[in-house]
Amino acid sequence: MITTVNAQQRSGSSPMAQSPRSPSSQAPYLTVSVSDPAKMGNGVQAYISYKVITKSNLPEYDGPEKIVIRRYSDFVWLRDRLFEKYKGVFIPPLPEKSTVEKFRFSAEFIEMRRQALDVFVNRIASHHELRQSDDLRTFLQVDEQTMERARSMEIGIFKKKPADLMQIFKDVQSKVSDVVLGKEKPVDESNPEYEKLKNYIFQLEDHLAEAQKHAYRLVKRHRELGLSLSEFGKAVKLLGDCEGNALGKAFSELGAKSEILSIKLQREAQHLLMNFEEPLKDYVRAVQSIKATIAERANAFRHHCELAETIKFKEIDMNKLRLMRSEKLAEAEREYEELKADGAEATRKFERIVKLMNEEIIRFQEQKTLDLGVAFHEFAKGQAELAKGISEAWQSLLPKLESCSS
Amino acid sequence: MITTINEQQKSGSALLVGSPRSPSSQSPYLMVSVSDPAKMGNGVQAYISYKVTTKTNFPEYDGPEKIVIRRYSDFVWLRDRLFEKYKGVFIPPLPEKNTVEKFRFGAEFIEMRRQALDVFVNRVALHHELQQSEDLRIFLQADEQTMERARSQETGIFLKKPADLMQIFKGVQSKVSDVVLGKEKPAEESDPEYEKLKNYIFQLEDHLAEAQKHAHRLVKRHRELGQSLSDFGKAVKLLGNCEENPLGNAFSDLGTKSEILSTKLQREAHHLLMNFEEPLKDYIRAVQSIKATIAERANAFRQNCELAEAIKFKEIDMNKLRITRSEKLGEAQHEYEELKADGAEATRRFEKIVKLMNEEIIRFQEQKTLDMGLAFHEFAKGQADLANGIACAWRSLLPKLEACSS
Repeated sequence: MITTVNAQQRSGSSPMAQSPRSPSSQAPYLTVSVSDPAKMGNGVQAYISYKVITKSNLPEYDGPEKIVIRRYSDFVWLRDRLFEKYKGVFIPPLPEKSTVEKFRFSAEFIEMRRQALDVFVNRIASHHELRQSDDLRTFLQVDEQTMERARSMEIGIFKKKPADLMQIFKDVQSKVSDVVLGKEKPVDESNPEYEKLKNYIFQLEDHLAEAQKHAYRLVKRHRELGLSLSEFGKAVKLLGDCEGNALGKAFSELGAKSEILSIKLQREAQHLLMNFEEPLKDYVRAVQSIKATIAERANAFRHHCELAETIKFKEIDMNKLRLMRSEKLAEAEREYEELKADGAEATRKFERIVKLMNEEIIRFQEQKTLDLGVAFHEFAKGQAELAKGISEAWQSLLPKLESCSS
Repeated sequence: MITTINEQQKSGSALLVGSPRSPSSQSPYLMVSVSDPAKMGNGVQAYISYKVTTKTNFPEYDGPEKIVIRRYSDFVWLRDRLFEKYKGVFIPPLPEKNTVEKFRFGAEFIEMRRQALDVFVNRVALHHELQQSEDLRIFLQADEQTMERARSQETGIFLKKPADLMQIFKGVQSKVSDVVLGKEKPAEESDPEYEKLKNYIFQLEDHLAEAQKHAHRLVKRHRELGQSLSDFGKAVKLLGNCEENPLGNAFSDLGTKSEILSTKLQREAHHLLMNFEEPLKDYIRAVQSIKATIAERANAFRQNCELAEAIKFKEIDMNKLRITRSEKLGEAQHEYEELKADGAEATRRFEKIVKLMNEEIIRFQEQKTLDMGLAFHEFAKGQADLANGIACAWRSLLPKLEACSS
């Protein structure tokens, strides 16, 4: 049983469940890391490849260590397959595909993406259901050509254009659960607890998106203030150079301090981006993944209801045929049995989704409280430290400036 | 003898020299204040009028108190007259005429202008030469119609378009001292101390302008950061409302703190504007006024040299006429005496300017060290206080957030 690793889920390093130095009859482990982004190809065909390192003693895996090369679309393939197979589970989210060309290969973007992909794979490897997936094994183990073949055969829900995806989410919000199959019958579970959860999820997404938008602006403002302070410092130093004596020296120091503080501000901007805004974004994606699961549950429920109705009609039909002693009765009875089997299967699928979701919700709530708490703690800490550094820097200048103005 | 008052020069309140409660055989005093800006007229004709209050025991003045109404162009008239009559003195600078229509009646602009006009008049009233000016008395005492008549008769140097004024300054910079009269003969003093001073003044203006430009940007960045922090705080509060405690509580606190800090940032932006950027702007104007005086000195020098040359040529002429016993000799001698008188006058004027400038430079250096020291002290103090407040606010949240993330 692999321990869920909380703090390490964001660290971007391989989680160590047990000590690798234990004897070979040790507990099973599966640790993964995504590293070493490298630009491949040229021009519009260019992409980034990543090294995916798997350390495992699970029998299905080539252990103890295997390294494969993967690209972003391989991760997308894995996410899509898991979404198809594990309905009810909140599939860990992927970072967005960036469409802005010049940003696609910037160091900052590549590093943020690498971290997010590492977190993604690790969450799967830590999930007691998902880590047993064959597709995960394929992803972690097969050579690059096999992977490419698997990827090009994919025809899942996420091949739809993003607009369609949004439409699915919107319909869930409006309780029409059947967009995938193109039907329009609104069916709702009348489960007040579940309604509450859905409302909570939709509200949470809106508010997180707002908070993330403004967190991003804060990053920008820190950078801008830092830049202005640096230019100001340079100008003041020049001013100090053409003054003599105590005043000139005071100016030079003020200019030098301004430049130091400019660097602190730029660093804090970077810290805010990586340790606060990115976790918020990750959170928004996680909530969107939950919405996709909500859509799946609605589909399963509708399917189950439709079959139940069809079965009822079939019973009525059969009773009619029985009364008329029709020779079509046997065939109808056979179809009826098939329908009942389908109905039982649909019900089983739906109930399984409900069961899984209930477990998932608990895990989500716990994890979320921790993650958001950490992110906001990082925020307040970073801001407090920055402000302290700034305050000290300016205060250290006051005695000198006081003597110039008295 | 009125004591020079440093810190009160910028306070915008009436100067108190000696106590007004002393008996009537007290030392002479002249206190002026500019207050109560009021919008007069409508549309394009609209302007701001100010109340100018004079308290004095000077015999030439209607004492002990007199109130007149003046507008910006009246202050310009006074500055122009003083510049004409007191060559060599660094005439205190005026705030710029604002040409952006919508900004012209903004509360902040009006208050900054009122303060700058108050400082202007007080500097004139405190200057041992300028306070004796007849034009100052007219400005402070005459009724509005008399003032208007005086203003419309003005034909001084400053009625030239601003472009011409810049040309004058540029001419000084390139050591062609004769732009005003359109001649091109370079005649400059070969006084190394004075050269050093001129270079210093020009360099100072450039560097001050740079520092002021970046100070203005800093004001803007503070406002922007404050705005973003406020938006962020609101978003976080909404997030907190949909969470349960203790996380929801922590978010609400964080949101509230963000809004409080946003207010602090806006206040600091205003403080930077009034107590740091505005003094820098005032400084630039003072340096530009000094450049105008440098131009006047160059003019006086050139005139002096030209007359000296004209006198030499006249001597040669006269000797020629003496030898030829011409009847024009008498007239020539008469002209010669006139030229010599003019030459003596020009020399006297030039030497007076040099003497005055030497005193003014000393006053300027002392005053500047004080003013700049004060402005930069205000800057560092404001920044330190702001940062301190920010650090305390964020630190107070850390215990709560730590509890949520452990």
